[in-house]
Amino acid sequence: MNLAQFPWDPKPEAQPAPTPANGPPAAAPTSSLPATTTGYTQSTLSPQGSAQTLSLPGSFMPNNNPMGMKPEPGYVQAEPTIKQEPGLPPAHPGYNPANGSRPTAAQRAALALESQYGQRAAASISAIHSGMAQVNPNPAGQPQQGPRPGQQQMPQHMNQYRQGVAATMQQRMQQVSRPGPPNGLPPSQLDGPGDDTEEASPAAMDRAQIDEHLHAQIAARAKQMEGGGLMLPLSQATKSRSLAAKRTTADGPAQLDGGLDDDVKSEEADEDAINSDLDDPDEAGDDDEDEDDSMGHMMLCMYDKVQRVKNKWKCVLKDGVLTVNGKEYVFTKATGEYEW
Amino acid sequence: MASSTNNYYDLYRHGSLGVALTDALDELIGDERIDPQLAMKVLTQFDRVIAETLQEKVKSRLTFKGSLDTYRFCDEVWTFLIRNVTFKLDNGSHTVVADKVKIVSCSSKKTEEK
Repeated sequence: MNLAQFPWDPKPEAQPAPTPANGPPAAAPTSSLPATTTGYTQSTLSPQGSAQTLSLPGSFMPNNNPMGMKPEPGYVQAEPTIKQEPGLPPAHPGYNPANGSRPTAAQRAALALESQYGQRAAASISAIHSGMAQVNPNPAGQPQQGPRPGQQQMPQHMNQYRQGVAATMQQRMQQVSRPGPPNGLPPSQLDGPGDDTEEASPAAMDRAQIDEHLHAQIAARAKQMEGGGLMLPLSQATKSRSLAAKRTTADGPAQLDGGLDDDVKSEEADEDAINSDLDDPDEAGDDDEDEDDSMGHMMLCMYDKVQRVKNKWKCVLKDGVLTVNGKEYVFTKATGEYEW
Repeated sequence: MASSTNNYYDLYRHGSLGVALTDALDELIGDERIDPQLAMKVLTQFDRVIAETLQEKVKSRLTFKGSLDTYRFCDEVWTFLIRNVTFKLDNGSHTVVADKVKIVSCSSKKTEEK
């Protein structure tokens, strides 16, 4: 009994993984077996020995061999002929082949986690284990693992679980003590995604503060973007477009589709394009000019009549003020004739 | 272009008199010596007075000729841009020449309907 535990005792992490994992999947194939491992004594070994004769991949423990019931030498190489599962890892780090038994997915995951992250993964592994423990609450329901007495499993499992809990508690304590939000940044995450939930739970205040901080940061960033983009104050934008353009180019990657000037010009061009069906481009220029000159030469008046025959226009105006060449003329009636 | 409070156009505000008056009122408002409402009242008064004066006091007539460059009729407002204009003032019978004149003209019927 104790001998059976002996080989994998030094590897406490590896061990619990196989044990509970083996249970459920093994249970199905071994249904033919007497699953009555009532005790945790070696008496359970004998049915397992028979299980092996029944082509079940039970235990390849050396201490099983003495049972004499196994036709195979009890090593991995011998087994594959009988195996229903092909995927038995011959030798995994932290995995004792002596433990025999095929690892389930969960088990393999646990092993992988452990091998990759070692102690740090204790929490996750323990989580896997606890999940498996739920699935298979009765550790005795694993007839295959005769050499592994349930007594041994449970304590080990408990040990692991305790370790995991301790680890998580420690993490939690660290996080609480860590001045995360006050230093202006959400605490950096170094130890896996699981922390997020833990982190959120300790205090709602922290989260609120973090949210605030994030808002502030995003707002600041948005402001930055504005500064380099189109949302300049009107005075600045009109005063010095070239300056704005320079600014945008200085900002570099913020704007990739050309300077501000280009945009504005293209828009104007578009507007002109809409009108271009009716107006010549020359006219547009004239319009601009006449806006400039409007103060110089302008007539404000009422019209009585505006007539047109082909390109000849006649209009009768009244009550007008004419400003020409720096002089003002008023009239009560004016008639104009002009050709277009 | 009729102002909302009465039936007079406010287009004469764009003439030299109107511009000068508007500037003066702006300055007074800036110095907080008058209310903006008072300025608006002054301007509407200006609209009425200048229209009536032009209608009643002015007797001069003029004719002009030129080549029409641009014409526009929008919202009952005619806008002409005329080049090489020659104005003939009937009182002094002397002519005034301008290379370019912009004419903004509102319908006279509206004022008569008032």
